[in-house]
Amino acid sequence: MVKKTLTPQCPVDISEDDVLQAMKAINGFLDITPADFKEVYIFAYQQAMDRLSKSIVAKKIMIQDVVSVQKEDSLLHAAELMADHGISGLPVLNSLKNVVGILSEKDFFFEMGESKKQSFMRVIVKCLKNKGCTAISLRNQTVGDIMTSPPVTVREDTSVFEIANIFDEKKINRVPVVDKSSKLSGIVTRSDIVLSYCMRIT
Amino acid sequence: MNREFGTMTYFNKMRGVTKSPPQVSLAEMLWSWIGAFVGMTPLAYINYNYLIESDLVLIIGSFGASAVLIYGAIRSPLAQPRNLIGGHVISALIGVATYQLFPDALWIAAPVAVATAIAAMHATKTLHPPGGASALIAVIGSDKIHALGYLYAIIPVGLGAFIMLVVALIVNNIPNSRRYPEFWI
Repeated sequence: MVKKTLTPQCPVDISEDDVLQAMKAINGFLDITPADFKEVYIFAYQQAMDRLSKSIVAKKIMIQDVVSVQKEDSLLHAAELMADHGISGLPVLNSLKNVVGILSEKDFFFEMGESKKQSFMRVIVKCLKNKGCTAISLRNQTVGDIMTSPPVTVREDTSVFEIANIFDEKKINRVPVVDKSSKLSGIVTRSDIVLSYCMRIT
Repeated sequence: MNREFGTMTYFNKMRGVTKSPPQVSLAEMLWSWIGAFVGMTPLAYINYNYLIESDLVLIIGSFGASAVLIYGAIRSPLAQPRNLIGGHVISALIGVATYQLFPDALWIAAPVAVATAIAAMHATKTLHPPGGASALIAVIGSDKIHALGYLYAIIPVGLGAFIMLVVALIVNNIPNSRRYPEFWI
């Protein structure tokens, strides 16, 4: 796996003038130049990002109350679940609570859009070209028919750093977290990663 | 919300809140040594070979302190040219003035000179620790220094600081890892 340096989601756009203003607010002589402070700040910030992204693990940031479906469920049921909860993807579990697949909006787009590309706009294009606008064909299919399988999963101790790399490489927006016995224990989404980068985890 | 003043709060402030900064590299130690050696040599050479018999001096205690800053802590705001020259000259003038105000009460002149020099350096953004020494030396003298009067601010103080500055500009910029100064103004 190619490891890239992650760009922080939170800007480090501190200027020397910001530093100067901060120094003015502090009483007393500070034996550092604004330029040097800025240099130290940027290094320290990167250092903190690296440290936190490697030490914060899936278990700390995952959502544990996961909405899921089974292979045999109808797509209508799955779509209603996603609509009701305002989410764009669901893990697919078997009776032992192992993750056997992922069902997401992209899987629906794949079936509905023209040229098998996964986006809502491709669906609109197909509609507007009068090639059929409905999801009727999906009425008789189950989750297992269109889900993505095998699913990408991570362990509870996978670091945020690795998860972000996975999102980037596999172009996915969520990943189920499994425990030591391969059962679903939670789910991590892109927005959970962003929150962790803004260091809101205590 | 103000806490009430209590003895514990006051002494708690003395506890210290952080760690000392990291040790510098071997290269830094080496270049500090080189800079200080090259910087002090002209002052010592001229002083001991030409000025002993004269009314002038070129080497005073405060230059040892300046060497620490301008060769050993070159990124510090206290080590910059403005601070070096401004701090020394302003403090020297204050020192001489204070001595001439209290020539028979050096026990007053000394603290007044140092304290006023500090305040003046703060006010002019020329804070330079050796400046306090220059002010003090103007008061405690040697007699030779007392006899210089205000010339003290030029020789040894101004000239010595200037020579040290030139050496600092040359030597500090030789290694890739160093640059000097951080600012002029």
